[in-house]
Amino acid sequence: MARKSALTPALIVIVGFLTISPVVMLVAGSFSEGFGAFHGFTTAKYVEAYTDPELSAILLDTSIFTLGSAAVATLLALFLAYVNTRTDIPFKFFFGVISIIPMMIPHILFSVSWVLLLNPSNGILNRYLMGLFGLKEALFNIYSLPGMILVEGLLDLPIAYLIIAPAMSAFDVSLEESSRACGASALRTLTRVTLPVLRPAILASVILVIVKSLASFAVPSVIGTPGRIYVLATHIYRIIATGFSPDYGKAAAVGMSALVASILLVYLYRHLTSESDRYVTISSRGFKPALIDLKGAKYPLLGVIGLLSFVLIVLPVLVLLYTSMLPYIMVPDAKAFSLMSWKNWGEVLRDPISLLALKNSLMLGLFGATLGVILSIFVSYAIVKVRTAASGILESLSFLSFSFPGIVIGVGFMWFFVRTPLYATIWALLIGYIAAYLPYGIRPLSSAFVQIHSHLEESSRVCGAGPFTTLRRIVIPLLIPGIVSGWILMASMFLRELTLSVVLSRPGTEVLAVQILRFAEDGLWGRLSALGIIMIFISSALVVAASLLGKALTKW
Amino acid sequence: MEIRIKGLTRDYFSEGKRIRALDNVDLTIPANRIFTLLGPSGCGKTTLLRCIVGLETPDAGEIAIGDEIVWSTEKRIFVPPEKRGLGMVFQTYAIWPHMTVFENVAYPLKCRNMPMEEIRTRVARFLEFVQLDGFENRPATKLSGGQQQRVALARALVAEPKVILFDEPLSNLDAKLREETRKELRRFLAGLNITAVYVTHDRVEALALSDLIAIMRAGRIVEVGDPKQIYFRSGDRFVADFIGRANLIKGKVAALDGSHAVIETDIGVIVGLNPRGIEPGTEAMLCVRPEFIKMAETGVAGGRNLFRGKIETLLFIGEAYEGEIRIGDTLITTTISPTVDVVEGGDIFLSFDTDHCFLLPA
Repeated sequence: MARKSALTPALIVIVGFLTISPVVMLVAGSFSEGFGAFHGFTTAKYVEAYTDPELSAILLDTSIFTLGSAAVATLLALFLAYVNTRTDIPFKFFFGVISIIPMMIPHILFSVSWVLLLNPSNGILNRYLMGLFGLKEALFNIYSLPGMILVEGLLDLPIAYLIIAPAMSAFDVSLEESSRACGASALRTLTRVTLPVLRPAILASVILVIVKSLASFAVPSVIGTPGRIYVLATHIYRIIATGFSPDYGKAAAVGMSALVASILLVYLYRHLTSESDRYVTISSRGFKPALIDLKGAKYPLLGVIGLLSFVLIVLPVLVLLYTSMLPYIMVPDAKAFSLMSWKNWGEVLRDPISLLALKNSLMLGLFGATLGVILSIFVSYAIVKVRTAASGILESLSFLSFSFPGIVIGVGFMWFFVRTPLYATIWALLIGYIAAYLPYGIRPLSSAFVQIHSHLEESSRVCGAGPFTTLRRIVIPLLIPGIVSGWILMASMFLRELTLSVVLSRPGTEVLAVQILRFAEDGLWGRLSALGIIMIFISSALVVAASLLGKALTKW
Repeated sequence: MEIRIKGLTRDYFSEGKRIRALDNVDLTIPANRIFTLLGPSGCGKTTLLRCIVGLETPDAGEIAIGDEIVWSTEKRIFVPPEKRGLGMVFQTYAIWPHMTVFENVAYPLKCRNMPMEEIRTRVARFLEFVQLDGFENRPATKLSGGQQQRVALARALVAEPKVILFDEPLSNLDAKLREETRKELRRFLAGLNITAVYVTHDRVEALALSDLIAIMRAGRIVEVGDPKQIYFRSGDRFVADFIGRANLIKGKVAALDGSHAVIETDIGVIVGLNPRGIEPGTEAMLCVRPEFIKMAETGVAGGRNLFRGKIETLLFIGEAYEGEIRIGDTLITTTISPTVDVVEGGDIFLSFDTDHCFLLPA
């Protein structure tokens, strides 16, 4: 019992350090002169950052980008959830696939595949359509705000779907039926009953996608930057990564507004989801709604959903695989196929920086996720099982980093690491990753802990096992499913990590996503694609291996 | 082994309010008996059990198991549960779902670093004892409720503890299985030289299983006694009412007559046992259980413990009628043979069994 009471404060210190220190350093940094002069108090950086004539355009583009992405993701999610829960469409397992698989494809590669398809000079689809219709100019330009919104919206679709689908399936259909019985038309019922009842879920989805796209770096940097469209994330990156002298003070000052906006939005989201309980009427009758018979619309609709899953899952991998074999981007034709070779693959596998990035990312993925999961186990245990007054503080702390935009927190960590020997080491990345992605480990583990009845532990104690043996023999084996999903989530996040890494990675500590970004900036699409496919392959292999190991361990 | 509890106090905080779960409890649980803690929910019985096991820490007091003090606030002693050498069966059975039946039962022995050979023979012996031989390799989750309960019992017994504790072990079984398991448990425990502490809120379970019953209320022990003492001679009106259906009639002791006393009540003069020796002239309560009130043929006027009343309600429940009889302003509950010809609203004569009415302090 004495050990238990020491656990929570110790974890508060660790998690507090991980989540609070970058914020503190960010604030301190924003009020100082720069890395070299970390003393005195000056608002010079704020003045510089917020009198920048470009800033208003950046803020406007950021708003359009985030709101647009939220609209695209939420509307698509509403459509998919409605079709899934309320119609007799076949192949319903598709919907689960659509909502999970895109999470497995790294955002930067998804963005790159769209650039390869729709860039105005040599995008594959653009070229093909120009040839088909004899056009002089490309039909689409992905390097635009609509292009960014489309790609980000598709990427955030899983998040929106995971919020909206449960609300949709918990919806009490009798609310609609009584509206129809009162004489309202189907459309009136939809706008006056269905959508208002779902409003909390819709709002929650919109807010969460805004938070996600505000923090998004892959899409703005791969698609926005070539079109000279800057959002807050890429603006911050530009301040620290280009020009003669990176200005971390100004970056911190700009980052403060992204951080504050994000925290406010997450607070609003929490508020909404806690209120939604009394809003969304969950049918207590366990009643299955009558499914809408789609009749003739069934197969066209299925086609739309098939296309969507193709675009979300198959197309990116296919485009990358295709491009990796070619010397430059070209429309698939006889000539293209005759030019195919493994040259790009050979170059990547001989490129020392790519190999180093591969090694670093693998190490971060395997070792970092393991460390992250171990920390998550202790934190979840303290939150769910120990339940002292301090548990609440620990819980808030550990989900705090969820509301921090990656690049902003990267800048904060930079201010911290530059004062420590950790600067420019892989440990800096490791600490940053664990801090930023701790909620990904804690969520599956705390739900696993909730399922372990306290009697299971107590009976072990009475049987003669000490607290440590109880943890090892009872708690951990029962936690294995949670541990495995937490580890998979963390490892795949770490393996593809971009936003923190672009700030923290230095020569010698390159990681895969950063190396892919460099290739994109240099237009080395072939090598990029080869490295990207390797990245997807490793990521999938890790998922499969971890699931198999988890299965083997639970049987034992 | 004997368990001695002195001055045990435990407070809870719920929504900012202090709730006293155990209030200065003194109790001695004698060795090698089945001892039941009985009481309504929230009376502190489970808290007391968990303090004995070491899963909860009291705020004050002392607990000794045999010669060893396992908790003392004053002497700053806390022996953790795993060092107390006890066995326990939980309300939820707490069978570990990731282990087989064998692994569940072997666990306490593995914790004691027993050689594998010996573990095998011991586990086999105890599985046979609870009639689960042949189930060794069954995953624990593939068992019925009753079987899980027996695995839990085998696991609690396998290390041959001197004390075994039960926290409402039958409350998750359905009614029929509960009756069977109750009998079985009594047989299992009777065959062992072991101190058993049993927590329940079910009075029938307590009466059927126990050598001794302690009745708890609001964090205190109200009365301790063997089942018959508690049922027939309780000295506390809460206990008398809780342990079985009871008619409690207020009155004043008029005279003594050997082991009996005459008490004047609202419905008339009643003669009953006076086990507590209540003096004449004092207020007292007379307790008579429905099964000791008989229907009399016709009123023998002036007969001893004979009353005339009116049947207010009559419920046919199969093996009997359950009747509420109004005598004056007092309602008396009684059971009437189902074959008798009675109707609601009819007159009836009741006779109270002199040797099964008893007086207790008001």
